[in-house]
Amino acid sequence: MRASVGDRIVINGHRVGEPDRDCEVLEVRGQDGGPPYLVRWGESGHESLFFPGSDATVAHPAGAMN
Amino acid sequence: MRTIDGVRRSGVGIGPERTIRDAAAIMEQAGVGSLAVVDGERLLGIVTDRDLVRRGLARGVPFDARVDSVMTPPVVTIAADADLHDAFGLFRTHAIRRLAVVRGAHFVGMITIDDLLVDLVGDLADLARPVTAEVLFAHRDSPVPATA
Repeated sequence: MRASVGDRIVINGHRVGEPDRDCEVLEVRGQDGGPPYLVRWGESGHESLFFPGSDATVAHPAGAMN
Repeated sequence: MRTIDGVRRSGVGIGPERTIRDAAAIMEQAGVGSLAVVDGERLLGIVTDRDLVRRGLARGVPFDARVDSVMTPPVVTIAADADLHDAFGLFRTHAIRRLAVVRGAHFVGMITIDDLLVDLVGDLADLARPVTAEVLFAHRDSPVPATA
C-alpha cells in the first residue's frame, strides 16, 4: 500500500452489517509512501499507528494525483 | 504462503503512555478488539478489549492510567516471512487467539484464529464443491465398449 498525507484509508467491515471505518493519514512513517501511518480516526479525533491489512484501501482526496 | 500474506485485518498500534480511555476509543473507532502497544514500531505488548475489562475496569484502574499497565507482555510473535502453517503450531501451543506479526522487533500486523478459520472454511468449500456435485448429479458412466 502507498499513501500520502491527507489520504483517507477505508477499512472494510468484516461481518455482515458491520460498517466500514475510515481514518485520515497524518504522517507516513514508512519509505516511499509505505506503512505504517500515523492516522486520525473520524469522530473521536484519536490518533494511532496504522498497519494496513488486506481489508484496507486508500482513497485519495478529490483532485489529488496518484 | 507467508504469514504476512495471511493477514486479513489491519493492525492498529498505540504508544505505551496513552491512556486506557484512548485505547478503548481507538478500538471502537477502528473496529478492532486488540491494539499493539508500540514504542515507535517496536512491539512492547498487546492490549485487548478483554484486558481493558478484566485488568482495568474490574480492578478499579482509572481510565487515565497508562495502557501498558493492562497490556500483555511479552507477546507471542511470528515472523512476517514465516510459513503460515507455523502460525497454526503457535496457536495450538500457546492457546492464544491473536498472534503479532513482526519484522525483526517491529510490529507489522496481527493474525487471528478467526482469519485462519475463514481461510480454511473457504478451502474446504472449494474442495467439497466437486464432491457435492458428484453426489447430487451422479455421473452417467459411458458404456464400456463392446469387445469381440
